[in-house]
Amino acid sequence: MTTTFWPTIADAVRNTVPTARAPLAWQPACLLMSRFGFGIETKTQADITHYGLDGWWKFQLAFSRGAGAGYAGHAGVAAQGPLLTQSPAQVRAWLAANGNEYGWEAMDQLTRVTLGLQAWSRGQVYETAVDFFANHLNVANHSDGVWTTRHTMDRDVIRKHALGSYENMLLASARNPAMLRYLSLASSTKSAINENHGRELLELHTVGIGNYTEADVQNSARILTGRSLDADFNYLYKPEKHWVGPIKVMGFSHPNDSAATGEAAGDAYLRYLARHPATAKRLAQKLCVHYVSDNPSPTLVAAVAKIYLQTGTQIAPMLLAILRSTEFWASRGAKVRRPAENLIATVRVLGVGPGTLSRSLQHLHWMSSSVGQVPLDWSPPNGYPDVASAWRSSGSLLNLWSYHRGLAQNWYDGFAPFDPTSLYLAVKPKTSGEAIHQLCVRVSGRRFPTAHVAALQTFLGEPASTPIAASRLRWYLHHLVPLILDAPQHALR
Amino acid sequence: MTADPQDRPAQGRPVTTNREDVMTQPQQPGVEHPAIERVLTRRAEQVSAELAAQEAGWGRGFTRRSFLAGAGMVGVAALGSQLVTTKAAYAATGVSNGNTLITIFLRGAADGLRILVPASSELGVDYLRTVRAKLVPDAAGLAPLTGAPGWALNTALNPLLPFWGTGELAFVPAVSAAGVTRSHFQAQQCLERGSDTATTGWLDRALQQLGPGTTFRAVTQGSALPAALTGNQTKLVMSSLKNFSFPGWDGVSAQSQTALRALYRGLPGPLGVDVPTTLAALGTAAAARAKAGPQNGAVYPKGNFGTALADLATLLRAEVGMQVATVDVGGWDTHTDEANQLDRQLSSAATALAAFLTDLGAARRKRVTVVVMTEFGRRVQINANGGTDHGHGSVMWLLGGGLAGAGVYGKWTPLSAGVLDSGDVPALNGAFDVLGEVAQKRLGVGSLSAVFPGRTFAPLGLAKVG
Repeated sequence: MTTTFWPTIADAVRNTVPTARAPLAWQPACLLMSRFGFGIETKTQADITHYGLDGWWKFQLAFSRGAGAGYAGHAGVAAQGPLLTQSPAQVRAWLAANGNEYGWEAMDQLTRVTLGLQAWSRGQVYETAVDFFANHLNVANHSDGVWTTRHTMDRDVIRKHALGSYENMLLASARNPAMLRYLSLASSTKSAINENHGRELLELHTVGIGNYTEADVQNSARILTGRSLDADFNYLYKPEKHWVGPIKVMGFSHPNDSAATGEAAGDAYLRYLARHPATAKRLAQKLCVHYVSDNPSPTLVAAVAKIYLQTGTQIAPMLLAILRSTEFWASRGAKVRRPAENLIATVRVLGVGPGTLSRSLQHLHWMSSSVGQVPLDWSPPNGYPDVASAWRSSGSLLNLWSYHRGLAQNWYDGFAPFDPTSLYLAVKPKTSGEAIHQLCVRVSGRRFPTAHVAALQTFLGEPASTPIAASRLRWYLHHLVPLILDAPQHALR
Repeated sequence: MTADPQDRPAQGRPVTTNREDVMTQPQQPGVEHPAIERVLTRRAEQVSAELAAQEAGWGRGFTRRSFLAGAGMVGVAALGSQLVTTKAAYAATGVSNGNTLITIFLRGAADGLRILVPASSELGVDYLRTVRAKLVPDAAGLAPLTGAPGWALNTALNPLLPFWGTGELAFVPAVSAAGVTRSHFQAQQCLERGSDTATTGWLDRALQQLGPGTTFRAVTQGSALPAALTGNQTKLVMSSLKNFSFPGWDGVSAQSQTALRALYRGLPGPLGVDVPTTLAALGTAAAARAKAGPQNGAVYPKGNFGTALADLATLLRAEVGMQVATVDVGGWDTHTDEANQLDRQLSSAATALAAFLTDLGAARRKRVTVVVMTEFGRRVQINANGGTDHGHGSVMWLLGGGLAGAGVYGKWTPLSAGVLDSGDVPALNGAFDVLGEVAQKRLGVGSLSAVFPGRTFAPLGLAKVG
């Protein structure tokens, strides 16, 4: 397959050989919702139909930079995170006033709001970008010492810049209280260098392994010393802690000759790293793995990296470059949904409403926990793995199959009641076979292959021609729906 | 789902390769073409019948093939209902002997120097006191190891001491898989894959050498597959035995599982393997679960690690044919306040491991070997935050049956400024020499050349055959 690039998204779709990995069928809108969104959903589908592909992209950018910025993609969900707008000191005061100064409520709110926005925000492209960069610059939520600050990383670094400039995101992250605690930068000083952040900055945040020496790691840590926190956990540059002296890291050198200007020296270094071609290539590779396939072509990666450098580290143009490639549109079925992605996609495709958010978000939290993928909770600094081979688990499969049943059969309070007949298309099915077809089309955008339809018909134990009034669907529809969600058409994206 | 306005054939566009796609053109929201509908319905019913016949046929063939393949396997042949063949063609040089290897990975780089302490002047403790005084336990915090002069265990590991007395505990200091990297991720990948370039995990290749086994031959406790098991061999990843059952109403469970087998039949990629493997394991899991519960007075601590080990003990007692199992434990990256953080972790890990060994009982322990490893050790010098940065040589622990005796195995050079490797404990003992010896002597992997290609082995003599 040759990857080609086109002036518009619609052109790229028109010029793509319409292939999909079996058993999925080629369906552009469903691919778009499953990659640049957390799954197929009727309101998102309506937006795409209304705006067209290129128009939808523009709408998504405008929405998430305007009315839907930050946590505003869903007002009800945002209201579940009142602490997320607060400063670290305010959070601590609130926690103290509510019985536990060291409580986890702010971190829990962040988890719940993240899950809620993934499921129900209209700004789906934004949520996928937030998820990507939150993992790229991972600061484990629910880890030591970030109980009053973790949300500032999400709010002031990731969400603020997710569709903006990576350089600005990197600069913000190297001033963020949660990042400074998580990677020990806050306690790295001229007399006692802590290499933790200096190393991960090179290995994970920017150029990647193989581009620097151990001496570079030490200098990487030295030039950022002095970046610290005040007593209220706000960022504070402390010149007296800054290591002074010439710095050389890879091709970057700086006299770094005064403590007073040490912070600016660090910023110059961060800018150098953000604009380094190795950073461009690494970010492009990771984005293509996230959005396209576990093995993206070098051509696609190079094109996305080139845009990044040409636009001065802008993120949105990289995503658009992916959307303008034929490789993306020919990749349907090439990604396996990770467990939490499967969970959220289930909520979306069933159209299960948020109901009582204080309860439904708690459910999503423990569910994502039991499949090992609570958003933002990956404890090492490299973020959740993004390829299928890392997620193979019988335990998770069984848990997901359980949630398919639970959500389709109303096991959990808090969600809006789900009626499986709501999945039928406008013209209601007249026979058992038609019903199966309609449900499959709703879940995957296309009919299932014949062998799969046969398996589902066998499950019902009646011929496809059985009239709907006499069909066993009267009793088995809410058992059939989860079975369709168990199928590869929903497990892949 | 309604149709996408962009979803229409473009001029000159090649014909689609997906038949279902063609058959649903043209697409209108909610409208199906009646003629196509009839064709599809007829074909669906026909395929349904064929599928049922095929299912029955495969069932018979499957059983016989499995039985033949398993006939020569000691301890595996008896497990007829659970036999599966390996996916890849294998050239087994070894024979599974009914033993089990359990690897426990301490993610984050555990500080070996505070676990197994070179506590005498001869071993270099005086130097340690000059560069990491706060991290060298005082006499009350050290348990000397009889028969290993100068070595002492951090007393946080006291729950394990009885197993030193019975010859079921050993250590290898200054151990490493490769050169200095100081990258958690690169070092973990190297140790788990067996080299920097291997695309599969070393345990996967060991399984391949052992030939066919049961659905439970390789079990990972956790939510994700570790790199050591990446590859073609079937394996089970389970978060807990308690929840390992088919969900939903029992009245449709069997039909649902039949449908799932059909939905995933022939699917390329990992799910095409994992779904049937999972379904095949349900019955055995249920039987094992029915006999769950610690034996011999073992008391597991609360937490994921204890639960994981308790599940493994249950599976071992149920004789499900488990050859290898892996458990990950996080939280060892002690850049700050190491004395407290590490000792808390060690105490919890030691309590869980001691409970596991007790639970198994002396007889079953003879067939189970546990190896505890970490990606690298930490810097010898303490940092300004009472922690340590990334280092090099680490400590491996071995527990359970088949050890040559309690001991500290391998080479050691007394520590001083001059012997350090870039400020770290030097790598004097090869991690793959340890893993290779255990795989060969305990698991019965024949030749190691396929497990660790291109490597020359220098076993440390820490395990016994059988």
